[in-house]
Amino acid sequence: MTSLVNARNVSKHFGSVRAVDNVSFEIEQGKILGLIGPNGAGKTTLLKAVLGLTDCDGDLSVLGFDPFKQRKQLMQNICFIADVAVLPRWIKVSQMLDFVESIHPNFSRARAEELLQQTKVQPGARVKELSKGMVTQLHLSIIMAIDAKLLVLDEPTLGLDILFRKEFYANLLNDYFDEERTILITTHQVEEVENLLTDVMFINDGKILLDSTMDSLSDTYVEVMASGENAQKARGLGPIAEHEMFGKSVMLFEGVSREHLEGLGEIRIPSVADLFVAKIKEARR
Amino acid sequence: MIANQPALIRRELWEHRSIYVTPAAIGVIVTLGVLAMLMMASGFAKELDLAIFGAQNLAGDAERKAALTVFFLGTSWVFLVALMFLTVFYSLDSLYAERKDKSILFWRSMPATDAETVISKLLTAAIVIPSITAVGIWLTHLVNLIVTSLWVSAKGGDAGTLIWGSISLFDNWLAALIVVVASGLWMSPFIAWFLFVSTWAKRMPILMAFMPPIVLGLLEWIIFRSRYFLTTVGERGDMTPLFHGMSLERFFEEEQWHDGVGNISLLEHMDLVGFVTDPGFWSGLLVCGILTTAAIYVRRYRDDS
Repeated sequence: MTSLVNARNVSKHFGSVRAVDNVSFEIEQGKILGLIGPNGAGKTTLLKAVLGLTDCDGDLSVLGFDPFKQRKQLMQNICFIADVAVLPRWIKVSQMLDFVESIHPNFSRARAEELLQQTKVQPGARVKELSKGMVTQLHLSIIMAIDAKLLVLDEPTLGLDILFRKEFYANLLNDYFDEERTILITTHQVEEVENLLTDVMFINDGKILLDSTMDSLSDTYVEVMASGENAQKARGLGPIAEHEMFGKSVMLFEGVSREHLEGLGEIRIPSVADLFVAKIKEARR
Repeated sequence: MIANQPALIRRELWEHRSIYVTPAAIGVIVTLGVLAMLMMASGFAKELDLAIFGAQNLAGDAERKAALTVFFLGTSWVFLVALMFLTVFYSLDSLYAERKDKSILFWRSMPATDAETVISKLLTAAIVIPSITAVGIWLTHLVNLIVTSLWVSAKGGDAGTLIWGSISLFDNWLAALIVVVASGLWMSPFIAWFLFVSTWAKRMPILMAFMPPIVLGLLEWIIFRSRYFLTTVGERGDMTPLFHGMSLERFFEEEQWHDGVGNISLLEHMDLVGFVTDPGFWSGLLVCGILTTAAIYVRRYRDDS
């Protein structure tokens, strides 16, 4: 596997605040990595460092480039959607296509127009005349028409209704993603992307709490719903989190084999959201 | 650095339509003004006949040329004043608006460096806007000459002699181009200052641009009782090296314009060699370079998103 992003001891300080604190990770080609964290965890700062929008300490290499010093070269092979609201409101759709076509060597105007034809977005319309959902469709059409190795999405569906959110991710998976491409995505709506992800990374207070493939999550983490004496026995195995549901205790275990837990209650694979909450609580204890 | 400039400058023309709408609007207003004057003049038939007779038979070629050149200068002056306002407002808005509406994140997702982007805005303010203004001056002049010719012909005059035989089109138009383009280069330190403020100010860039020099001037007056700073800044607007050291005010007050018998070539009143070899020209470009570098630096390192 080719490593597209390689971070070693990366930090970013704002005065005395450590937004990103000595993190190390790799992102391999063909992965869809979800970067999950609470507000102020350092997600956006880390993404900005990856995109070369902010400088940082440590060693950070993206597609073999120093992102801050070689941002122009990097942007020929990276796309990002920071927020759907960032398209200039005054621009016409046709002007947007003209601009990207003239400045981006890897942009296919024909592909973008083909994608836009599947939407209600008209070439003569200005961005300010479009609904938020249509602006997303426009942005995504442009992004998907760029032959980029890495796509970075920072809360791409924020403020969109459920129909547009579902369509956004469906388009991304069906029309864009392949094993040559890599996607790095941050979102608060973990449940919506959970099934898309191949890898997940939790970040809190600038530190990485978890960096794992989705496949190995089910091997490492397991949830048991137990009551009465079984709950007591399960508690003895040292769950990392516990909460009550329907009068039963739901306990989350890390690194405890299923054989030890079988017979104590209903066993299931925890959702990424449950795991995230457990890990954050654990970190704050 | 250069390859992306056409696309980036085209973006400026899309975003700031006032760059070409303003000269077009001024052209229309000037033409309407000329039409109104001609219609008013039509009410004085006797005086008009006398004036046309005098212009054709009594006035010499030099007087006719001078009169048409003064007419050209009068209409061009409106464009020059508009150019000044247009450049100031464009420069102050160009790097501020993209931060205000957060579209800077989209622009920065494209493979164009901060240096390329800032330089495209500098080129737009210092060269593109003046060049479009020059075209506006030419077209307005041409339209008004045609309108006036038709009117003169309708009143029994010989437009061929009175207008087209007397006008120094090449001299006037080239002079206009030189003045507007030279003004862009001469004023480049101010443009770069406005660009720097545009990328640096968190709000009200116009206030941030004009307050520091005013405060500095006031402080100088309070402490030293002198006005060196503001006088130097103000006098730069005269572009004296382009006019053989003559201020614009004096240039237009020269008696020869009123008498219509002096040197009626605008180009001969200009000293291009003196202009480009003047220390003020090069020191201005140096200040422009420093402030543009500062603007690039701020856009690159600043994080408003």
